[in-house]
Amino acid sequence: MSAVTRARAHWADLTRAERGVTWFVVGFAALLLFGLLSGALAPTYFLYLVGIAGMYALLSFGLNSQWGFTGLINFSVAAFFGVGAYGTALMTAEGSPLAGGFNPLIGLVVALVLAAVLALLIGIPTLRLRADYLAIASLGLAEVVRTIVKNEGQWTNGTAGIRGIPSFFEGWPVLATFPESMPGLEIVVSPGWRTTFTVPVVDVGLEFVIPSSTLLLGTSFWRALLNVALVLAFVGLSYALLRRVHRSPWGRVLRTIRSDEDLARALGKHTYSFKMQSFVLGSLLMALAGVFYAHLNLFVSPGDLDPITTFYVWVAVILGGSGSNRGALFGGVVIVSIREGTRFLNEFAWIPVDVAPLRFLMIGVLIVLLMRFRPQGVLPPQRELIWPTAVDKAPSRPDSGVRDVKAGGGDE
Amino acid sequence: MVLLDHIASGLIFSSIIILGSIGLSLVYSIADFANFAHGDTMTVGAYSSFVTFGAIGGLGGAVLGLPLGFFVALLAGIAVAALVAVITEKVVYEGMDLDSIGMLITSIGIAFIYRAVVQMWFGADAVRYDIQALRPIEWLLPYDVRVTEHDVAIVISAAVLVTGLHVLLQYSDLGRKMRAMADNPDLARVSGIRTDRIKLWTWVIGAGLAGSGGVFLGLFNLLRPRMGFDLLLLIFAAVILGGIGSVYGAMLGAFLIGMIHELTPLLSQLGAVLPYLPDTFGLPIGNQYGSAIAFVIMVIVLLFRPQGIAGEAV
Repeated sequence: MSAVTRARAHWADLTRAERGVTWFVVGFAALLLFGLLSGALAPTYFLYLVGIAGMYALLSFGLNSQWGFTGLINFSVAAFFGVGAYGTALMTAEGSPLAGGFNPLIGLVVALVLAAVLALLIGIPTLRLRADYLAIASLGLAEVVRTIVKNEGQWTNGTAGIRGIPSFFEGWPVLATFPESMPGLEIVVSPGWRTTFTVPVVDVGLEFVIPSSTLLLGTSFWRALLNVALVLAFVGLSYALLRRVHRSPWGRVLRTIRSDEDLARALGKHTYSFKMQSFVLGSLLMALAGVFYAHLNLFVSPGDLDPITTFYVWVAVILGGSGSNRGALFGGVVIVSIREGTRFLNEFAWIPVDVAPLRFLMIGVLIVLLMRFRPQGVLPPQRELIWPTAVDKAPSRPDSGVRDVKAGGGDE
Repeated sequence: MVLLDHIASGLIFSSIIILGSIGLSLVYSIADFANFAHGDTMTVGAYSSFVTFGAIGGLGGAVLGLPLGFFVALLAGIAVAALVAVITEKVVYEGMDLDSIGMLITSIGIAFIYRAVVQMWFGADAVRYDIQALRPIEWLLPYDVRVTEHDVAIVISAAVLVTGLHVLLQYSDLGRKMRAMADNPDLARVSGIRTDRIKLWTWVIGAGLAGSGGVFLGLFNLLRPRMGFDLLLLIFAAVILGGIGSVYGAMLGAFLIGMIHELTPLLSQLGAVLPYLPDTFGLPIGNQYGSAIAFVIMVIVLLFRPQGIAGEAV
């Protein structure tokens, strides 16, 4: 079988939504490439965007393993993110009011431990309660964390934030000096590079002119590249880990809890402890995103714990499809497009309003439209064995044998 | 006595939270979801009355330092909040086939839309009613209580509204139907109650009370696009503390939460209030932790009594 037929067979296998998403991704990538080549998008900024998108993907993975797989409504995403960022910042930064100057790896460990402790503190009182109580209690406890970070200046520098956070690779053998030791590259896109497309049938000439531009790739570019490599490593590892654990018996128990907690309990599972494990796991992923953010931005402040981050991540997970990790990846990218794309809207004079509320409006409308017309998200998980609809609307006659269903495919 | 002053401001703040929490509790028990847009409904009410008051002016006369125009504006705020809630119910919630968690998430989207529209219209900066700020009432000053006539007006208005609601719920036909529906919607339906109509009335009453709470919050502090969302957590704390599904529990919870919120500054001057302690004694907890303390207390109560103070067993 040649590569082409295999690709075609794969394409035929996709659902309509998956095809749509594929086209969207291809188009979006082409747009970004055009922006890069024409000089409208600086390469360093582009890499920063990739880093932020990776960070949102990590946050979405974390929320997905809580909400998507176990059905825990966690509205304290921003708190775990902030605790991760502050944990590493306090350990590593020069301007840290507490310790400072440690290796970022120690900062990473401290941040994860702090997040696990916070997850236990929030989880113990709330995970026994009704689902909607957890939503409210977690949102409130996130506010408590934010208030403490903002007001206890002797530990956290208060509203001034923490400056002087080193890059994540500070103190590593080769990578610490990698950006400085790399040579500066210069890529010249020449003005004569003119491409003309003509559509023969309707005879309309479309002309793309790429203006002359010079791309300078200096130290900051290499530093950004390193950060992207770091976030890709984080994202890849967590994706692999989540995929593995959610296929394990442990993951099956979680999905049973999501579908029907009483059923799980009737089967002899200690649901509270399973929920707690899932809650801590998701919180660790969120803190990991926070650690990456602190070393990307090199500055953290209480504003990073604003509840809006929580809702961004929620939109990403719902948009992608609750319980689907590639959906979470997709949702993370879309959220970054909304967040960063709206910044440029201020340059258009014909938009009479401030951008900040416009962003709120877009997020709000997106949530309502999604819940109204596609509550399962764009890329819902497929080939699930245990799912609410599988219990309620099971077909009376399976279209394939039980053995095939059990043997077939992954969880997504 | 420092204590009296804090209790007085606790009473005022409680009145505002009570107005918010009753509506939230009603919607919680009849529409069956935690409405995260409730706080922003308060904001909508506050800004509508702000616009109305700016348009009609004082209209002369004054009750408790407030011109008559303000009370007209209050009614306008209540009406607009109720109208917005009914439109939202008709356009968004009614056609949805979701469980209570899905509705909860939808209501977050609605909350963002309300807030975004308010902020686009009025900007992010705080505004205030064009009403002269009053000096504290003279004859209370010897007792160290600093309360203005406006504050008295807030408490009295809240008391009138709450009493009205009590009469409505207990003695009117609509109130009986609402209680029946909160108890068991299916049973209410087969008994011939038009549940969709009752649900609309619930939105009108709940959002109307929220709108009035927003107006008073604007009078007590300032009007900001975030004012409702910031208060929402305290209102939720009140409703959960009182017990979801019990309007009277919500009132009690709101009273406790409002008091705790306003009494928090006392923690840093415990020595001055309690006997047998040195006067300088105090816990290092400032008044910026008011909401946090109220919230932590709610969580602790939930640990021992998950159904809240007045709620039925879950």
